Amino acid sequence: MSEILELKNVSVHFPVKGGLPFFSRGMIQAVSDVSLTIKHGETFGVVGESGCGKTTLANAMIGMVKPTAGQVLFKGVDLNGLPRDEFKKMRRQMQMIFQDPYSSLNPRFNVYQIVSEPMFIRGEDSEEEMKARVVELLELVGLSAEDLYRHPSDFSGGQRQRIGIARAISLNPSFLVCDEPVSALDVSIHAQILNLLVELQERLNLTYVFISHNLADVKKMCDRMAVMYLGKIMESGDSDKIFRQPLHPYTQALLAAVLDTSFDERRDQIVLQGDIPSPINPPAGCRFWQRCPKAMEGCKTVPPELIEVEEDHFAACHLVNGFPDVELPAGCDEPVDKEDVQV
Amino acid sequence: MKQVLKLRNLKVVFPTGYGLIRAVEGVDLDIGDRECVALVGESGCGKTVTSQAVMRLLETPPAVIKVDSIEFDGREIKDCTPKEMQEIRGKEMAMIFQDAMTSLNPVMTVGNQIDEMYMRHQGDSKKEAREKTVRALELIGLPEPRARANSFPHQLSGGMRQRVLLAMAFACMPKLIIADEPTTALDVTIQAQVLKTLRGMQQGCGTSLLLVTHDLSVVASIADTVYVMYSGKIVEKAPVKELFTAPYHPYTVGLMAAVPRLDDEKRKFTQIPGTVPHPARKPSGCYFHPRCQYAAEKCRKEMPPLRSLDGNREVRCHYPLTAGGESHE
Repeated sequence: MSEILELKNVSVHFPVKGGLPFFSRGMIQAVSDVSLTIKHGETFGVVGESGCGKTTLANAMIGMVKPTAGQVLFKGVDLNGLPRDEFKKMRRQMQMIFQDPYSSLNPRFNVYQIVSEPMFIRGEDSEEEMKARVVELLELVGLSAEDLYRHPSDFSGGQRQRIGIARAISLNPSFLVCDEPVSALDVSIHAQILNLLVELQERLNLTYVFISHNLADVKKMCDRMAVMYLGKIMESGDSDKIFRQPLHPYTQALLAAVLDTSFDERRDQIVLQGDIPSPINPPAGCRFWQRCPKAMEGCKTVPPELIEVEEDHFAACHLVNGFPDVELPAGCDEPVDKEDVQV
Repeated sequence: MKQVLKLRNLKVVFPTGYGLIRAVEGVDLDIGDRECVALVGESGCGKTVTSQAVMRLLETPPAVIKVDSIEFDGREIKDCTPKEMQEIRGKEMAMIFQDAMTSLNPVMTVGNQIDEMYMRHQGDSKKEAREKTVRALELIGLPEPRARANSFPHQLSGGMRQRVLLAMAFACMPKLIIADEPTTALDVTIQAQVLKTLRGMQQGCGTSLLLVTHDLSVVASIADTVYVMYSGKIVEKAPVKELFTAPYHPYTVGLMAAVPRLDDEKRKFTQIPGTVPHPARKPSGCYFHPRCQYAAEKCRKEMPPLRSLDGNREVRCHYPLTAGGESHE
């Protein structure tokens, strides 16, 4: 399998404005130094809590935000080095499905206008061609030609998400970013939309980036995945391997926090203390150390590298990889006394 | 067991331009002492309306409420005046809302908002109230409670705000707390923290809890008894373990299968076909029959009654399922 998208040391920082004009008070480090590759035809999951940079990373992947540093290579071409019209052509191959089907569809447009808008902007098709294509797309996502002139308000949440999907695939993209595609929908509709995504992937040979905070969904959907925390990748690689043997304490805690309906008493509950720290001044060293149940003294100062532990399974944790061979203060592998840490 | 809440035959109707919306159609609800009862259903099934009707928080009009009895802690509250209700609400019955940001006052410190509870309901002075507030915040697990009491809601994180709401709800040690989707807006790791605190406080204070949620995994982790609602009616009632091991109603079965689990097969999602009926255009017979794979002729014509099975369970279905997915009859 070849790579379709490659991120090389991508960072996205946003200035925090306020106070004096033209001066920023700091930088939100939404994504810091992320490298990953996404292969053709796979589903790549991105998991993390809110505020960890999942959506910013997705936006950087399709060129919606410009990375502060690093490169985004789509089919080997650096997106940010492209002139505008070349970039626009490239963007047709990469589309996005949004989280909230209530706010991502224009309420004043009818279904035909919504779904045909990408084709209209491309400007290569006649009215008849567009209409035929829209009907074809609607049938593909489980709607019908009768729905062509209805407005978003006539549809339920699940149906609206189907319209959003039809719009996303209208230009035959090869790469689709699904940003929490089901979290705004009811449980019984969840499965319908996910099944539709799986079906479309097989039919249209799509590559997905599947962003979610629901680990069970990610486990079922994805071939490979990355776990993010505060803008950094904590663990990444083959999703089966990660779920079978989570290496990073954060991944372990996330998995333990998934509530189950099976009444399994054996699973130990790791309840993390505290909240995600602010991404404006992320902790030095490992970004997770303040909440980590296994933090060591050295984790406070030495940032861990993302290292391949086994084939296609990377982890960024000193506990797994050991401290690097540089000069370290004594006692860096002592456990941190949690009493002193206020999070 | 002593009953804290006995709701009988609650009906709530909203007259609108395009027809009557029958949000709740004859719901009975029993909550025992120190019991955690969950009301589960998808959006639009009437679970929030039910909980608000119990608190008498629904505006009439537009809502039209008909109820045989709301017996709370041994007294009938269906005919209480708004003033009497104000005495009950907060003191004996409290509510935790889903979105902590919008249910806290943004221009008041959280300490002042909790102080109000003590000043209003227990007649404390400002100073006494603040002492109690700090103690409540400490109990709920907020770090540095005295300093935090002087924070405004926007200075706190989502999990902390939800904890402040918990502290406020438990402030006067009410008999009953109604929690409407208390963890839906939170991240998984924070959800685990808040649920643990909620369960701990509920057991510690001896409060009964009515948990309104759509999330079956939350139900499995803290509830004792579960009511499943569909389109304004209770379709199944059972103790939590029995419901999850052997659901009787096809809707409950579908709902449970739709919750993805970590140990499931890849790329196959069990789905319930169709969508929840529009509340103004409900189908004939059993409301679930258009989506039910077991539906028979009788289901299309007749609404099944809620009937008892195995002593402590109730199910609204002509052909309830057994554990193997087979029909009882």
